[in-house]
Parts: sequence; C-alpha cells; structure tokens
Amino acid sequence: MSEQSKDVCDPSSAAEASDSEVNSSPGVPGGLSPPASQAAILAGPETPPLGPTDAPLASPPPQAPSEEGDPKALQQASEEGRAHQAPSVAQPGPAPPAPAQLVQKAHELMWYVLVKDQKRMIIWFPDMVKDVIGSYKKWCRSILRRTSLILARVFGLHLRLTSLHTMEFSLVKALEPEELDRVALSNRMPMTGLLLMILSLIYVKGRGARESAVWNVLRILGLRPWKKHSTFGDVRKLITEEFVQQNYLKYQRVPHAEPPEYEFFWGSRASREITKMQIMEFLARVFKKDPQAWPSRYREALEEARALREADPSAHCPRNSVSED
Amino acid sequence: MEEGRAERRRRTEAPSHTQGGPRRAGVMTDVHRRFLQLLMTHGVLEEWDVRRLQKHCYRVHDRTAAVEELEDFINNINSVLESLYIEIKKGATEDDGRPVYALVNLATTSVSKMASDFAENELDLFRKALELIIDSETGFASSTNILNLVDQLKGKKMRKKEAEQVLQKFVQNKWLIEKEGEFTLHSRAILEMEQYIRETYPDAVKICNICHSLLIQGQSCETCGIRMHLPCVAKYFQSNSEPRCPHCNDYWPHEIPVFDPEKEREAATSRATKRSLRSRQH
Repeated sequence: MSEQSKDVCDPSSAAEASDSEVNSSPGVPGGLSPPASQAAILAGPETPPLGPTDAPLASPPPQAPSEEGDPKALQQASEEGRAHQAPSVAQPGPAPPAPAQLVQKAHELMWYVLVKDQKRMIIWFPDMVKDVIGSYKKWCRSILRRTSLILARVFGLHLRLTSLHTMEFSLVKALEPEELDRVALSNRMPMTGLLLMILSLIYVKGRGARESAVWNVLRILGLRPWKKHSTFGDVRKLITEEFVQQNYLKYQRVPHAEPPEYEFFWGSRASREITKMQIMEFLARVFKKDPQAWPSRYREALEEARALREADPSAHCPRNSVSED
Repeated sequence: MEEGRAERRRRTEAPSHTQGGPRRAGVMTDVHRRFLQLLMTHGVLEEWDVRRLQKHCYRVHDRTAAVEELEDFINNINSVLESLYIEIKKGATEDDGRPVYALVNLATTSVSKMASDFAENELDLFRKALELIIDSETGFASSTNILNLVDQLKGKKMRKKEAEQVLQKFVQNKWLIEKEGEFTLHSRAILEMEQYIRETYPDAVKICNICHSLLIQGQSCETCGIRMHLPCVAKYFQSNSEPRCPHCNDYWPHEIPVFDPEKEREAATSRATKRSLRSRQH
C-alpha cells in the first residue's frame, strides 16, 4: 500500500470496519487511524470519529495477521502501527468536521455508489475519494461505514470490497438471491438475456466460444453483426466492447488461428455475479428442457452451489447482523 | 398532485433522524428493500411497471401479505428515505400524462446523476441543449441549433458528427427525447433535474399554472401567457365546452387534448395527432 495514496484512509480497513468480509487476499491494514476512532467505530454508528492525529503512517507492520474483521485484532494492529511511528510527531490536523457533515458525505457516497452500480460501472475506491469524499479523506473510513450501514438497512445491499488489489467495490444483494429479478421486468431482459445466452453457450461448450459460434446462436434471435437492432443497437459493439468493458465477457484472439479469429470467455464480473445454477435454469427455461438434459454441466452447477453454501452459510439467510429489523 | 402527497407524508411520518438511527419499526422490510433495489436499477419506470414490480417484491418476500396500496407503499418508503435526501418521485410524461416514477436525489449537486456517465464536453453539450430547450417556446430545441454550439463546449474539442452521436446517447439513456430532428427533455430528466433546473434558470424556467411543476412542453394562454401541461389541460378542462384561461378568463385558444392514461394504444395514436396540434399552438 503506497504511502502517498492512502494516508489514514485504506479501503481494506474501511471495508472491514463496515463489512466482515473481504473477498480477496487478507487486507493488510495499511492506513490506520488512532485507537480512539477505532473505539468510536466499535461503539456504534452515532459517535463521530475523532481524528486529531492524522499523521501519515510509515509502511504497515510487516506481520499484520490476517484479521478478517476481528475488531480486537484490528485495534491491536493499529496500536502496533502507532508504536512504529511513535518517534515521528503527529502533525496537528484540521479540526474534525461536524457529525452532520460526515453524515451528509455518507449520503452523497451512498448515491454515488448506487448510480455507479445502476450504470454497471466499476466502483473504484480512488474515484470515491476523488469524486465524493474529497477533503474528508481522513474520515473516509467512518463515512464508508455509515454508507454501508445505510445501504444495508434501506436497500438491502452490501457494499463489499471485491478486490483489494484493484481497489474495487461492488454492490451485492444481501437479500435471498432471487435470480434474474430483471425477468420480472421485460424492459431490462433484453440485455441480460443476450448476455446470458452468450455465457450459457460458453458454459455448455466448457471452453471459449468462437465468435462464429456466438453469431450462429444470435442469428436465431435475429441478430446479425452488421445489422443495427432496435433494442440492442450495434450488437457487435455491445458484446465485443461494452460487455467486455464491464467485465462480463472476455474477448480474445484465438492463438495461431489463420485468418485471425476471436473467442469469448466469461469475464471476472460474470463469474462473481452469476452462478452456474442460474445458467442451468436459464437454459432450462429457454429450451424448455430439464436442466439435467445437460448432465455434466448440471453436476458442475450442483458442485458449485454446494461449495458456495459451505463457504458462506450466511448467504442463505436474508437477514444478517447489519440489517436489523 | 405533489403537494398533496408531501402534506400527507408530513402528517404521517415520525420525526426523522439525521444519524443512521433505527427507522420507524416495521417500515423497511425486505419487500421494500428489493423494491428500492429494482427501482434504482431501472432508473425510471411507468406506473404499470411499478405495480408489477411491487407485486413481484411481495411474491418474493412475503407471499401471505396483502399488497399495500401503491401510494401508501411509496409514502412509507419515502418517509425512510427523507433523511437521506432522496425520494421516490412521481411525475408524468408531458405529452400524454402517463405517470412515471424514479428514485431521485433531492440534494442539488447539478446534473449529478449524469456526471459519472459522460465526459466533460458531453455534459456541457447536455447543458447547452438544456438551456436551448428551456428558453424555447415549444420546449424543443432543434438539432441544428444544438450542434451549432459545439465550438463553445468546455473540455476536449468535439466535432459535429461526434456531437450527433452524443445526443443519441442521451436519448438512449433517457435524458432526451427526439422527435423529428428536435430534442426535448425525457420525463426522467424532468423528474431528476427539476430542482437543479429551477435553481439554475430561475428566470427562464416555465411552471405549469395547474400543478406548479416544471413545464417544458405545454399550451399557453395567448393573452396573459400562463402555461399548462397537456395532461393538466385535459384534466382541467375536462368536459368543459367553453374552456377559459384560469388566470385571465379569456377563451382558451387551443384544442383540448383527451387522455386516458390507462389505454396506451390510444395515447400512441393521439400522440400523432397532437404532434400536428403542437405545431399550431405556438
């Protein structure tokens, strides 16, 4: 975690304060705030954080244990961090803002995150700091935490740090997964249906789907690469650029193919958001067959579902500790 | 229509908390949460879609419960959203009065929702188009007039060809509507930006004399200049054989549209006849 970018505001520790899961490698609590604000965070959402000492910290303690949201360990680590930089004098920082201002920032951040998600854009932590948090960077952890609480309570959404490496957040439904809500509203279905069609094809093939194969399938829907469609517009651009940019698909050149050919793979976002079981159910619906008509794929989907259940038993409970009601 | 809702809300709601404290017990359930999630996902929805959405949310989370009346359902949610400075706002399409809903941010941070989508010069193009639309008599700005302003845009230089595509992007994202080479605001833009528009263009902005909301397209009295939305005209002069201006009492000089928001097919055909009406009105 480079010194110059984080100060006291580190996406991983902020995320850990708000959400007890970090999906990727254990977050090293690089940017640490004084234990006072740590206590404030443990105390509850109402207490504003105190941050009079906001000295930029030296590199994080090398043996930081992988505390996945253990507040005590986090506190320990922060104390270690402070011990490390005891010789350097804490610069007197700006006076902490009024609680109301932090609350307002949390609301702005909430809206920002909702809109980004609505547009299916990546929620990037540095963008959050630049666009919303701005000069309140030193309190971003508490702002982030309050935003997560609101999102969970009011929208039933988890603001989750999905990749510490790329500092990406995403909004994940905390409610019982009702696959393809969008099916309930047909005006959203076209995009999703198109994407699912391609993802299903890739899945059934078990490896990348050549572009020619994809177009064979899309031809059934009346879509052609050279024709503009009333709903989709430029279909080729949509699937080779937009879906790729949103990380739903990967579009790669087939090695050694002459003349050059391209193939599609699942993108990282598709792997995160869509389960194999959802694909099986989609196939079943589209082809009006039982999912078991694709036996090996169905088995795979079952295994994935089991693995997901074991990894996260709380995923099936619509309630979690955050959304008390 | 909006005043009534606001009044009712003020009467029924509990004192709002500004911190993230607990809400009125029992108001925010998973039904409401899913509803909000999906409404946010779709941006703007027409009323029949919203009702379907509501039923879907009940089906998923609470099959046994009776589906609450939509207005109360939304008011309940809005009482929770109030301290967050957002609300589910109800508006109507200006050409045929179909009710639409969107989750809007009440804090006026300019064209905040669009800001993350578009580059600086694109946003500026939208602002220029917006200004032309608001200043115009008909509520429409011609493509030519908008494109002529391309040289004045902030940010990276944009060619007219590019600007044409950006305008199409606005149409696809439901910020603008295009009709015969002219652009006006989509009901979504009106819903989401009403506050911003009122504050930014206080002199040029037009208000409907009946519902007191922002007016982009409508009819105006030729004597005293007051304006009314087409659906508001339809409602106000319903079965009135001698329509007179509510302000100056002069004869209302325009054809009174007839709406039945339930029957969309009728609206579609009457839209065609209204197009020719509109060209006669101003």
